[in-house]
Amino acid sequence: MSASPVATQTANNGIPTRRVRINSESEMPLEYGTTPGGTMFGTKIVYERTFLLQMRTSPLARTPPTNLPVIPGVTAPSEKENHKKNGKVNSGRVSPTKGKGVPSSIKEEEEQFSMDM
Amino acid sequence: MASNKFQALGAGLSEDEEDNAHENIAHTAAMSVKVKPLEVPPDENPLQSTYCLWFTRKPSCKHFDQSLRQVGRFASCEQFWRLYSHLVRPGDLQSHSDFHLFKEGIKPMWEDEVNRYGGKWIVRLRKGLASRCWENLILAMLGEQFMVGDEVCGAVVSIRSHEDILSIWNRSASDSAATSRIRDTFRRVLNLPPGTHIEYKAHNDSIKDLSSFRNTDVFTR
Repeated sequence: MSASPVATQTANNGIPTRRVRINSESEMPLEYGTTPGGTMFGTKIVYERTFLLQMRTSPLARTPPTNLPVIPGVTAPSEKENHKKNGKVNSGRVSPTKGKGVPSSIKEEEEQFSMDM
Repeated sequence: MASNKFQALGAGLSEDEEDNAHENIAHTAAMSVKVKPLEVPPDENPLQSTYCLWFTRKPSCKHFDQSLRQVGRFASCEQFWRLYSHLVRPGDLQSHSDFHLFKEGIKPMWEDEVNRYGGKWIVRLRKGLASRCWENLILAMLGEQFMVGDEVCGAVVSIRSHEDILSIWNRSASDSAATSRIRDTFRRVLNLPPGTHIEYKAHNDSIKDLSSFRNTDVFTR
């Protein structure tokens, strides 16, 4: 092994690593090409859509956010809209489980506007 | 200095909302208050950038930057879902509402230093598609799927009376390699049908004609 400046530098710096704790199986990526905690692509932390969607069910993603401002019709029910339509629409504080469900409007749109799922 | 997104939007769409000022969007969290960096605990999956989610609803007389309301910030996948799951989906917002999801430090305004020489791609969606498309767009942004370095600034979903509009903003309107790459990814992640118009508008032109979505350059495929 020659002690070229490049080699020395590489040895000193090593490859940056990051430790990721997996709390449940759902946090494991589906493909072998994806790393838990994000794939480093160049200098970016890259996540595939499927991985991000899996994270939605992580226990860590279920706790309510702190400091959520009260904005009627956005983060909280709007008094006005509450009476309209099906109450679900503006039930601002959607529970995480409920948030996962596919609203009926989505099903309608799929036939004409197919999304790769 | 008078130029702002909302005055412009208001110009063409005034008859719709009569009640827009019924809540005090005015006192905004906004503006360049120095905030502490968000911490990402070791057991969460960090994002490349910290993001801020903003909300606006068309005001009667306020300036755009006064009506900007910060909804939340996040720096990890988990923090994102925590916030997102507690919000109404964009398709269920009142007309003339917008969500703006921008990298922290970039205000969702044409005049922001970072946006000044930038522009945006926009896609007009028929009613009913906004929630799903918005989710696909922001997941691609948070996951760094655009592969254009730091070009992407943020994304906007604009709920209007007869259509909804998605935009993705980038820093350099003149960087055709970056903008076309963003356009292609935009199209891919939304799975847009062939023939969909996708339009580009430099913020500088928006400042001139005081319009977000008019006088765009249209691209079709």
